[in-house]
Amino acid sequence: MKTPAKILAAVLLSASVGCNHLPGKPGLRPETQRPDQTHDFATLYKTNCSACHGDNGKNGPALPLNNPVYLAWAGHDAIQGIVSNGVPHRLMPAFGPGAGGLLTAEQVEDIVNGMMKNWGKKDVLNGQNVPAYNPGSAGDPTQGQAVFQRNCASCHGADGKGVAGGPPHVTGSIVDPSYLALISSRGLRDIIVAGIPEQKMPDWRGDASGKPMTDREVTDVVAWLVSQRTPHPGTMVTPADKRKNQAAIAPVQSRGGR
Amino acid sequence: MSGLKQKGIAIYRWLDSRLGLAGPVIEAAEHPIPKSSASWWYVFGSAATVILMMQIVTGVLLALVYTPTARDAWNSLNFLNHGLTLGWFLRALHGWGSDFMVAIVLIHMTQVFMFGAYKFPRELTWILGVFLLLMTFGMAFTGQVLRFDQDAYWGIGIGASIMARVPFVGSKLVHLLLGGPIIGATTVSRFFALHVFVIPGILLAFVGLHVWMVLRLGINEWPMPGRLVRRSTYIQEYEAEIHKDGVPFVPDAGWTDAMFAAAIILAIMACAALFGPIGPTGPPDPTIIQTVPKPDVPFLWIYALLALLPPKLETPILLIVPVVVICVMLALPFFAGEGEKHWSRRPIAVLMVLVIAVSLGTLTVVSLNPPWSPEMTAWSADPVQPRFLRGRTPLERQGAIVFQEKQCRNCHALAGLGGKRGPDLASVATRLTEDELVRQVLQGGGNMPAYGSALSPAQTTALVAFLGTLNGNERPARDPSLELTHSNAAQKQQKF
Ligand code: HEC
Ligand code: HEC
Ligand code: HEC
Repeated sequence: MKTPAKILAAVLLSASVGCNHLPGKPGLRPETQRPDQTHDFATLYKTNCSACHGDNGKNGPALPLNNPVYLAWAGHDAIQGIVSNGVPHRLMPAFGPGAGGLLTAEQVEDIVNGMMKNWGKKDVLNGQNVPAYNPGSAGDPTQGQAVFQRNCASCHGADGKGVAGGPPHVTGSIVDPSYLALISSRGLRDIIVAGIPEQKMPDWRGDASGKPMTDREVTDVVAWLVSQRTPHPGTMVTPADKRKNQAAIAPVQSRGGR
Repeated sequence: MSGLKQKGIAIYRWLDSRLGLAGPVIEAAEHPIPKSSASWWYVFGSAATVILMMQIVTGVLLALVYTPTARDAWNSLNFLNHGLTLGWFLRALHGWGSDFMVAIVLIHMTQVFMFGAYKFPRELTWILGVFLLLMTFGMAFTGQVLRFDQDAYWGIGIGASIMARVPFVGSKLVHLLLGGPIIGATTVSRFFALHVFVIPGILLAFVGLHVWMVLRLGINEWPMPGRLVRRSTYIQEYEAEIHKDGVPFVPDAGWTDAMFAAAIILAIMACAALFGPIGPTGPPDPTIIQTVPKPDVPFLWIYALLALLPPKLETPILLIVPVVVICVMLALPFFAGEGEKHWSRRPIAVLMVLVIAVSLGTLTVVSLNPPWSPEMTAWSADPVQPRFLRGRTPLERQGAIVFQEKQCRNCHALAGLGGKRGPDLASVATRLTEDELVRQVLQGGGNMPAYGSALSPAQTTALVAFLGTLNGNERPARDPSLELTHSNAAQKQQKF
């Protein structure tokens, strides 16, 4: 072969090898799959849960899922039930196929397993005296108030309406009727037992009294909180407010709720 | 060596004495053109032809693998992308070739228009050109449909809905195109036939005629201000100019064409290598609702137009405007067949080109990031940024969840993240007081639905409490009446 021919052959050869590394070569991207065939935990979590539960399961407006204590305590089955069916009449939507969600049963399974594997620690609760996942009784609000004084008041204020002073003191009220209407009793129990680590809300062990809360105490304090729900939370209270409310809603109704 | 050469010449002689093509071809190549036209402005037509050739070659190769059935089309493209060595590159070449073809044909047409080349005696060349433009769009559209992904589905859907508005025969046309009343099993084969046989057949015949006429009538001379076209004298003037200082097309002008065509092909290859094949996006399944399908670039402007037009105007505009535009383009050489060719003496023509280019460009750019379509997954996929939650009360945090759960985020971004249909709400509290927030949420207004019946009072309270904290680091807007009646935060809490 003459030199130019050799050069040409070399160029062609390297070009054909290099072609497999060109930037335009399509990878296996998620959009080339049906959404119900995605099984990657990170993608599934990001697109379905991160809005409310936060990037990486933390710092969202809803309860943190990246919480080993919660994951170990609630366990696979309970979590799978919540993800599939949502929390009825609350803001946690249902994702399972049986409840009108957009995920398949396998995908729900993928998410739950992914959370357990990535965020869970199997034996965080080993040898600990944990309150039961499901409350054994309705609880006693009066007892609960006393428990609250002992365990919670230092951060949440004597009446639960918050105290000044910055973290870990909580400024806002946890007995606001609208707040209590939006969160389930289940959710309250979950917060009290599992805590919100990234916000310094302690779990059942770390409360102000210095000793872990018992199952009974948790149940009672939830009962006390729940007893402060009102029949018509969030509606106007003074006559002037009522009139304002009417004025705001009336045009909507007269226009047929456009 | 010389023996081989001799043999080659002998074969050539044998062929040519029977075919007799060499003479006319050489004559065509060397045909004289005005010296002024041996210019870089005259390269677009030949470039379009070269891209067409490339499209045919790549298209034939694609057809070897592509399966034109509704069930397998999408899969066969994925096989090309991932299962065949350089299959993706072939798809990329064909896809980018199509976009380049549309662009070059449009530029060619603009150049011809600006240089007055459609005037006497080249009227028919122009008219064929208009059809060639339409067929180029036809190829781009049918090609997009053959991809048979979600975008294709959108494309056919819109195409069919436009057709269905035609009075009397609308539904028949749709039936003919789709092979049924809806997009079904036969739709892909119909479009395959159109894309591979019908349109290319006519296209090639028209290209042949078009080029033939260019050769026969001569390439348009460089327009000079003040030099008018008259039917009675033009031909003699043109002949005289060519006689005086004409140059042969090859090599004097042909090299610019060759260089430009080569550059364009290289550009297509570069785009293909860098950006890869176009689609396929998700599979064509109307049950997948988490998508915002978009047509290919040449049709983006229609997409934008459809989204922005008030619904009442859609039908008349969609049915009347295209007909008028095509008729005007076809009639152009007849009502403007004589007179000035130079752009400096044709202000209306220049203005028209500018207006059309700017509006098509704007519509295309707008639709690249369509602000009008909600982002369907924002409610569950776009986290409320931690800075909007830091130091907030439990009620306000619940409000943020209501904001997500009621899918406000699909239309409203927070600090850029989320849908863009409504305003970004990151600093809404500096614009609206609490009362105004309540009113907006309950009553809607503008393009926003009313949420009055979809929110419980507790949800409204939480939502408005959250929105009230979105003050973008500035202080919240104050309602003076509130200041008088309520004096502390506790009372404010109870307000709703
Ligand atoms: C629209 C907001 C929203 C989205 C999206 C959302 N959640 Fe939730 N989730 C909530 C709320 C609110 C709660 C608390 C409900 C209650 O008990 O009051 C919750 C509770 C939960 C709980 C129980 C946690 C606990 O500590 O009690 C789990 C587990 C959970 N969600 C998992 C998920 C997963 C997995 C996804 C994604 C597939 C998801 N959520 C998507 C709002 C959301
Ligand atoms: C060391 C201080 C501290 C103690 C003790 C404490 N909390 Fe909290 N708690 C917090 C912080 C910080 C938060 C997070 C702030 C927030 O969510 O607004 C929080 C959040 C909460 C929330 C959820 C608020 C939300 O955003 O949904 C509830 C409910 C709650 N605490 C109940 C309790 C109860 C009941 C007890 C007593 C058993 C208790 N806390 C003890 C600091 C504390
Ligand atoms: C379908 C899309 C859409 C949805 C869903 C939507 N909005 Fe809107 N929103 C708009 C549009 C469009 C406007 C601008 C209205 C106008 O032009 O007056 C708007 C305006 C607003 C404004 C006034 C903003 C300003 O700066 O003036 C607020 C506040 C608001 N929306 C809150 C919400 C809340 C809260 C929700 C959920 C309950 C919601 N929106 C859901 C489209 C939407």
